[in-house]
Amino acid sequence: MSQIIYIPDKPPIPPDQQPTVNVFAAVVEPKLINNLVRCLNRIAPLENLRHLKRVQKKHLEDGKTLIALILCLASENDSNMDAMPQDVRELVTSYQLSAFITKVCKEAATTKEEWEEQCKLWPTSYHPPTYNIDGITGFNEEDTQSVFGFMRLAVELAQSNKLVVNAAVIVDPSVKQVIASACDHHISSENASTSNAGGEIDFRNRLESVGSHLDSNGATIHGNLPSSASLKTLKQSCSTVSCLYPWQWTDQQLQHLSNSCCWHPLRHAAIAAIESSAARDRHLFPTSGTIGDKSVETDDIGPHCNLAKRQKTNLENAKSEEKEGTDIEGICSKSGRPYLCTGYDIYLVWEPCIMCAMALVHQRVRRVFYAFPNPNDGALGSVHRLQGEKSLNHHYAVFRVVLHEDVL
Amino acid sequence: MTSTYCTASWIKMDSSREDCSSDTLRFMELAIQQAKLALNSLEVPVGCVIVEDGMVIATGRNRTTETRNATRHAEMEATDILIEAWQRDGLSTSEVAEKCSKCKLYVTCEPCIMCASALSILGINEVYYGCANDKFGGCGSILSLHLGSREAHTSGNQQGRGFKCTAGIMASEAVALFRSFYEQGNPNAPNPHRPLVHNRAGQ
Repeated sequence: MSQIIYIPDKPPIPPDQQPTVNVFAAVVEPKLINNLVRCLNRIAPLENLRHLKRVQKKHLEDGKTLIALILCLASENDSNMDAMPQDVRELVTSYQLSAFITKVCKEAATTKEEWEEQCKLWPTSYHPPTYNIDGITGFNEEDTQSVFGFMRLAVELAQSNKLVVNAAVIVDPSVKQVIASACDHHISSENASTSNAGGEIDFRNRLESVGSHLDSNGATIHGNLPSSASLKTLKQSCSTVSCLYPWQWTDQQLQHLSNSCCWHPLRHAAIAAIESSAARDRHLFPTSGTIGDKSVETDDIGPHCNLAKRQKTNLENAKSEEKEGTDIEGICSKSGRPYLCTGYDIYLVWEPCIMCAMALVHQRVRRVFYAFPNPNDGALGSVHRLQGEKSLNHHYAVFRVVLHEDVL
Repeated sequence: MTSTYCTASWIKMDSSREDCSSDTLRFMELAIQQAKLALNSLEVPVGCVIVEDGMVIATGRNRTTETRNATRHAEMEATDILIEAWQRDGLSTSEVAEKCSKCKLYVTCEPCIMCASALSILGINEVYYGCANDKFGGCGSILSLHLGSREAHTSGNQQGRGFKCTAGIMASEAVALFRSFYEQGNPNAPNPHRPLVHNRAGQ
């Protein structure tokens, strides 16, 4: 099965091996809940365990509901009830509760999988990262098809040259439009000056036509897509992929001196795609914005749109608000000059190297999708994990798109 | 452009000028001149020069606002000039690599993670920088890419070995330029909350 996997900021802990702490809990009468919770929040607030829900509801087989609540934190090795703070103990006595010790998860969940596992112990709340980005909590069917579609385009672009190279496609997801695309130009190949450039132009035309398909109906993209056999070839002949072997440009021999204008050791696909999107920006919006300029005002709308999304913390409401947010964002990106690649996604066939990953931070890309991990120099989970680097001024969400025959 | 709104905590000075040779200071002075050119163009003021055999062979300054490409840092500008020139001269990849291995780079602020990696990929011999970059620095502040790739150390590869790095050359001059920039405000920030005290944006 093809799937989209979120690559979180921290190395994942297996969901069932999350650190736990002991708490005192007690089963209580439903009618007492409100009073007790109010009281406990005052005398024993769960300060460092804000992700924990105070109350657990269990539906029993006979149709009844069992309600338990957390009284207070317990020590790890002392199960004696005397270890409870004085005022909690008084509460237990006056309500005649029978306290017991149970394990709860110590840290807030960072992924949906962790969260689901946590709730088996005791219910917690799950707030996706503060820079809440669509997709972290999952993709709906339409978005999933769109992601697969754009990744297929990247894979096809990677194979459009004689040599297998990395490829990048920058997309405005609000209108499902390709903004820029590029292949590696870090080495020269025999046919680089002709079919490379030409191939990319052809490809771009095709991207546009496929893009419009995607727009009307994400599920109906077909066309000349790579077969699973060619996907295997892609993985086997990847010695010329820039981000996998950033230092090996020196080993590449120039075939013809006449082609020498085509290579640059730092022209990895992502860098070239960023350059292409910047060129598009300069072309479409020739006047540069200054203070008081209209273009700055429209730029201003961006953060407000995102604010609505950032405030979306409740998983239940996520779906409906997502729709709304996308609509507003769509209007923004149509009416105003883009600020770098704010709001855009990039699709890369291989996980980017650290240079490319940082370039994508600088250019303010919103989401990075890659198909194959990069064990040599991968910066988004394999060797480094740049998306979790707190000091950076921008953070994107990272996803791996696992391609399988059924989408190719 | 590409600015962060933050405190000035990134300013770290460990300038030890007595250790610097007069050549080092002379080249850093030229890098500062480049940073001033950037400042005059309302760009984040970072500049650099690349030196081969005691001669400046390329200069660069931050050009992120003008190009609307936040990767156009001084280092990228300067190295592009060289690569393109060497290609026009018909140099092969191995000759270009050979050339790079003789180059020293003088830059007013610690290369960011992207630039540090780029300099390592090119095989630049040595880097001298002014002030540290506590938010994005790739030569010790956040990551230490000048130490080379993991792969190079295990396989003994010539490539990916990293480069020698010297910090704190004329750091206070570099910081003073940033101060000037943030005092004049960043007209290119998408939503300027306040007119001054920014980070070294986009570098």
